[in-house]
Amino acid sequence: MRKDNVLGLAGAVALAAMMAAAAPALAQQQSPTFDDLVSAGTLPPVAERLPANPLVVEGDSIGQYGGTWRMGMNGGGDNGLIVKAVAYEGLVRFASDWKSVEPNLAESWEANAEATEYTFKLREGVKWSDGTPFTAADIAFTVEMFHDPDYAAASWIDNKNNPASIEVIDDYNFKLTFPKPNGMLMDELASVNGTQITSLQKAYCSQFHPTYNENAAAEAEAAGFSSWALHLQDRCAWGWETIRFANPDLPVLYGWVIETPLTANAARVTWKRNPYYWKVDVEGNQLPYIDSLDMRVSQGGVEELTLAALNGEIDFQERHIATNTNKPLFFDGQEAGGYHLGEVIPSASNTLVLQLNFSHEDPVKRELFRNKDFRVGISHAIDREEIVDVVFTGQGEPFQVAPRPESPLYDEELAKQYTEFNPELAIQHLEAAGLTETNGDGIRLMSDGNPAKITVDVISALRPEWIDMLEIMQLQLAAVGVEIELNNIDRTLFYEKRPGNEYDAQVWAGDGGLEVMQDPRYYMPFSDESVWAYRWAQWFNGTRPEIAEEPADWAKQQMELYNQVRASSDPDERTELMNQVLAITKEQFPVIGVSLMPNSYSIIRNNLKNAPESMFNAWLLPTPSATNPMTWYFE
Amino acid sequence: MTGFITHRIIAMLLTLVAVSIVAFAIIQLPPGDYLTSYIAALSSTGDQVDPRVIENLRRQYGLGEPFYVQYWKWVTGVVRGDFGHSFEWKRPVWELIWGRLGNSLMIEGMAVMVMWLVALPIGIYAAVRKYSLGDYLATIGGFVGLAIPNFLFALILMYLAYIWFGTTMGGLFSPEFENARWSLPRIWDFLSHAWAPVLVLAMAGTAELIRILRANLLDELQKPYVTTARAKGLPEWKVVLKYPVRLALNPLISTIGWLLPALVSGSVIVSVVLNLPTAGPMLLRSLTTQDMYLAGAIILLLSVLTVIGTVISDILLALIDPRIRYGSK
Repeated sequence: MRKDNVLGLAGAVALAAMMAAAAPALAQQQSPTFDDLVSAGTLPPVAERLPANPLVVEGDSIGQYGGTWRMGMNGGGDNGLIVKAVAYEGLVRFASDWKSVEPNLAESWEANAEATEYTFKLREGVKWSDGTPFTAADIAFTVEMFHDPDYAAASWIDNKNNPASIEVIDDYNFKLTFPKPNGMLMDELASVNGTQITSLQKAYCSQFHPTYNENAAAEAEAAGFSSWALHLQDRCAWGWETIRFANPDLPVLYGWVIETPLTANAARVTWKRNPYYWKVDVEGNQLPYIDSLDMRVSQGGVEELTLAALNGEIDFQERHIATNTNKPLFFDGQEAGGYHLGEVIPSASNTLVLQLNFSHEDPVKRELFRNKDFRVGISHAIDREEIVDVVFTGQGEPFQVAPRPESPLYDEELAKQYTEFNPELAIQHLEAAGLTETNGDGIRLMSDGNPAKITVDVISALRPEWIDMLEIMQLQLAAVGVEIELNNIDRTLFYEKRPGNEYDAQVWAGDGGLEVMQDPRYYMPFSDESVWAYRWAQWFNGTRPEIAEEPADWAKQQMELYNQVRASSDPDERTELMNQVLAITKEQFPVIGVSLMPNSYSIIRNNLKNAPESMFNAWLLPTPSATNPMTWYFE
Repeated sequence: MTGFITHRIIAMLLTLVAVSIVAFAIIQLPPGDYLTSYIAALSSTGDQVDPRVIENLRRQYGLGEPFYVQYWKWVTGVVRGDFGHSFEWKRPVWELIWGRLGNSLMIEGMAVMVMWLVALPIGIYAAVRKYSLGDYLATIGGFVGLAIPNFLFALILMYLAYIWFGTTMGGLFSPEFENARWSLPRIWDFLSHAWAPVLVLAMAGTAELIRILRANLLDELQKPYVTTARAKGLPEWKVVLKYPVRLALNPLISTIGWLLPALVSGSVIVSVVLNLPTAGPMLLRSLTTQDMYLAGAIILLLSVLTVIGTVISDILLALIDPRIRYGSK
């Protein structure tokens, strides 16, 4: 944290140095598009628009103003693209290498030793896109909204196990306090979830709340909403839902403000620069360099988008178009399209995670799925090299569900155990799990005499390669006497089956390969996405107590350790504790992985400068926003 | 004739009531509701929602209520012209769909015109000059047109446009006209974009029409009244057009009512591929996200159009074919 203060100080010093320098050297302080507005007096001069201590963002080179960044959305519901490209402005942010937390809207912060009390200092003079000051009162209002029982929003702010409360010290200083230690707060605040606390402007959004406007309920009804809460959500949104980008009146803190909103019939969504953006380059020029954003909205298909990218009509994009099958096409089209391919490292560890239901209704299957020998047997029966060659044209390597090699928590043994293709060893393990007899079709019999048959739920619409992989696995497992039946279903049904406990197994990608600590869903029973231990996760989180089930002792031990991770404010101690959690994962081997998720690629126009040649692709670390697109420019 | 029309209209109203129940039941059929698919969509991007939010929203949206309560609320609203709110877009359904339905009607109406204009002469020619070179060419063309799926034809067109002209084909308007009001340049811009989808949508239908018309006409041409007409020395064009073509059109007119829904549902994939802002992609999306009032409104409106189309084709048939008119008495 001391380091962060130094950084902020360095920025201040840099700015002071620049102010001291002669003015003509700094002629280019703002985009020329604002010159007329400023001289006409409709917009204050740039020095008044910028905070006293603007955040200095260093790009590879100093850019020039102008241009439009063109990208494409897949269908109107693709608000994720906007979140990842534009809306990552929280109190703090991750460095683009995801290794540290850096100041953003808050210029410094301090935590007490127990990690229950955090004091933040906001950057003085930051303004919303409507020109009004951003202060601690806005944060306090947001916290108040999240705690309002009628307001249908939830986040870490009102986490009922450890809710945040706020104390405003003055306009720029405030304190967040928690009843229990919250050591991971800074990681949470730096993630995309952290942007929730800076998403509401009190002056605008409070007009929809009955405490601040006695007519709020009547106005909501007049506007066609059944409650003020829905009206407020419609105008302000509580996070990053589609409607957040459908209201051009909503003041924001982003580098660009919405011009053509995201509505159901929008053919494109456009943005123009925010005159009050509070970041500058190392020479003190107000960012962003790029004038506007242009997001074409497809009708749910990516064919046109793919052709547009090939035609050089997309300036930077990874999302939607960077599929495995398109790669040769994009590679060959580089010269004609005037673009090149950048590297994108996925945050997911694995291409396919096979999760067997540890709480199966059938006691025989439950026993079998919980038997480690059974899972090890299946793992050894999978010829991962074949799958990598056939489905992924050789990209990737045999891998279990484990932290990725780029992660500080990478453990080669965890990543590689039981990945050897060895049918004999597989049979030994299956026999050790009690599957000794077979029926006439060569399928092993469970203890109740029924064949060992696993129905695997999969959503092929999400990742078409899952079906290809599972069909190969089907043959490989049949060879050792385990039958797999593919159940390709719609994703709504996929989710409905979880609380109803109506599944043998489900597959998903290996999220949590880089964000190990934030999303350990496969390493321990953690969330609703821990499908292998859905009922244990309910026990852990206290959600849906009616179906919660007491976990095995090892899982309880993990939960105990993880609670210590959450409570600890010391990063080294957290890493150590997380390693202990992963050691139990290694010992228990709860889920089966196939191969390391291969790198993806981005399309980068050759005249776009400062754009990252290599970046992560994750949700918690929203890219490309985390790589500072405000410093990109066109040559 | 009045009695015939009254009968038809009463039947139409009863059918509409039944259709509204079926439409609502269909959108309720899939497991889960809008919120389940909302969670699923969020999870696929790596995002997660707190179960409490979902419970809270479910209560506010009234999704937990029994079928008949939800249906009654919906249908009484529809009668007043209120189709409800879209969950996903938080906007009145009517506001969302009218522009898209307009686009659909325009594109598909044009496709139907092209279909008829191309298919009628070719069909007649193929029947009158049976087994000539022209007939064989029309037959080959017809079968090729029938065999190529619409969306594939669209993809091929897009690829050729990219390879040959270096342009990205798709959409209905250029960016500068997307949000503009209708004007002459906008109409021109629309037409310069619309030819591709119209061509794609008309192709399979044209092929089918040619085949139907040819078969019908061949049946008629062999009948004795045609021989008589010819024997009496009527000019050949009059022999063919006066009666046989009129009768051969009969099955085509009776299917006018189905044309519209068939085109809307048939054009969903084409619209997705060619990126057309028509009702099809919105219907598809609202069904996958279980945005039930939006999906329900589109299904209901399509059904209404089908039923109205059927009534119109009944009346038209009665007009051109006296046998139907008298049979109703």
